[in-house]
Amino acid sequence: MQSEKIQKILFILPTCLFLLVISIFPFLYSVYLSLFQAKLTKMHKKFFIGWENYQVLLFEDDTFPTAIKNTFMIAFSSITIEIILGFIMAKIFFEIRHIKFSNALRTVTIMPIMLTPLCVGLVFLYILNPTLGIFSYILDTVFGIEPFAYLGEPIPAKISIIVINSWQWTPFMMILLLAGLMTVPNEQYEAAKIDGANWFHVMTKIEIPSILSFVLLGVVLRLIECIRLFDIIYITTKGGPGIATEVMAFFTYRTEFRSFQIGTGSASAVIILIISLIVTTIAVTLLRRVERNEGLN
Amino acid sequence: MKASIRKKAILLIIATFITLIFLAPNLWMLFGSFKSQNAMFALPPVWIPDFSYIKNFTIMLSESYTYLLNSIIVTICSTIVSLFFSLPTAFGLTFFKFKGRFFLADWILSTRMLPPVAAAVPLFILFKYLNLLDSLFALVIVYTAFNIPFAVWVSASFFKKIPYDLIEASRIEGASWFHIFLKIAIPLSKGGIATVAIFVFIFSWNELLIALFFTVSESRTFPIFISAQVSQAQIIWGNVAAATVIQSIPPILLTIFLQKNIVSGLTLGAVKN
Repeated sequence: MQSEKIQKILFILPTCLFLLVISIFPFLYSVYLSLFQAKLTKMHKKFFIGWENYQVLLFEDDTFPTAIKNTFMIAFSSITIEIILGFIMAKIFFEIRHIKFSNALRTVTIMPIMLTPLCVGLVFLYILNPTLGIFSYILDTVFGIEPFAYLGEPIPAKISIIVINSWQWTPFMMILLLAGLMTVPNEQYEAAKIDGANWFHVMTKIEIPSILSFVLLGVVLRLIECIRLFDIIYITTKGGPGIATEVMAFFTYRTEFRSFQIGTGSASAVIILIISLIVTTIAVTLLRRVERNEGLN
Repeated sequence: MKASIRKKAILLIIATFITLIFLAPNLWMLFGSFKSQNAMFALPPVWIPDFSYIKNFTIMLSESYTYLLNSIIVTICSTIVSLFFSLPTAFGLTFFKFKGRFFLADWILSTRMLPPVAAAVPLFILFKYLNLLDSLFALVIVYTAFNIPFAVWVSASFFKKIPYDLIEASRIEGASWFHIFLKIAIPLSKGGIATVAIFVFIFSWNELLIALFFTVSESRTFPIFISAQVSQAQIIWGNVAAATVIQSIPPILLTIFLQKNIVSGLTLGAVKN
């Protein structure tokens, strides 16, 4: 029995130790660092200042509050767009699922999800080049709209980030909701047909209720991704113009690694951490509940 | 019947247009990688490039092959190490009935959802202290840590498909847990493990943030090399396009293999096929 116990421990313990050192320790150390004034280049000269970093971040400077606002604005807009377009696309692909060619189309459609976010940013940086990009050319020749710096003006830059983000992730919502639509029993569609229900009734009374848990799952998973949104901002706008597209993760990077202010940076990291923990708790509860019910089937 | 065929044909055309929206930007970059700097931004645009023009690729590869090699090494190593840690743990969490296993699984999952940027500086200090900054080893360790939670949860969702009777029967015959893990669980979940490996591979391949913090020169990965091209005053877009294409090849090819299991993987095993 003793060896049985040792075996079981060998299966599980190494991973736990690994995660404790590389995952949990750093997060706790961030909390510790956030109470100090410290520079990454002069680590031995740090001194304790208590809550001052948080004070400065949240109340004395406009940048971080704007970053929080932008992060959630981008998250909310992108996820809304992704759900609406994702649902429409899922419906279309659901209707033609028996046609072989639609499988090939679906595979191509979901490719952006797995692409390196950095590359997605670069592709759009190339397309959106203000003077010579293909987007300007189409806008000019087809609609007669004068090209301008799409990533250089506050509102267009925000819209561009949302568009790029949704472009990459709408396919995710689509395949998720497609999986959801597959779970609707065929009899329900037939019963609705016999009752003479129109498409709107079918959608609101049958489809939406049965895919609601899929939508919820999608929203939570996407929210976690949006909170850590970094790569696309880093390569396209760098938070600009001004602080128009500043987001939490990029702000933290900038503070820690461009200005080397790791005290302030850690404070902002801790705030991101707290926000993530709230979303994570919801997500873990949700995933655990789904898992106990033997998956969303 | 006729009406329904016509409806399907129209929907198929719409679906083709949708697909184009998600394909065209990438295609434009791919075409760009075969153009000279002038042709890339010519007005009116050069729609179809001369595909025999591969100078961008040859320049790019000769300048960057060490970084590309770094990326390949880090990605493969962290995939293997992640699986080495995760598979036994996933197996244990699925089949050992001990108290607190749900809590443990939740704890592992929650580490996956925490933002990497919040761990970057402490890890930087840790590795600096260990004199491991700017080393591929450090990257492998960190990527592994960030991938383990994902790998544990998704592998567990595949292990759960193994009939419990099978495990029970081997137990009665006196097989050790190691034996059951290696001879029963792994062979029966080959497809699932491949899915996990592909996802972990792509996550590591795509990583940018941690590499930005950790790598200075020798251990720079390919994404870092690409982003450095863009921060120069004069962007040489032909090179950037070629690098983007090279960077995109593994994710695109691997997505084709994932097909059936992609939803399951992206939802951490919550959605089954």
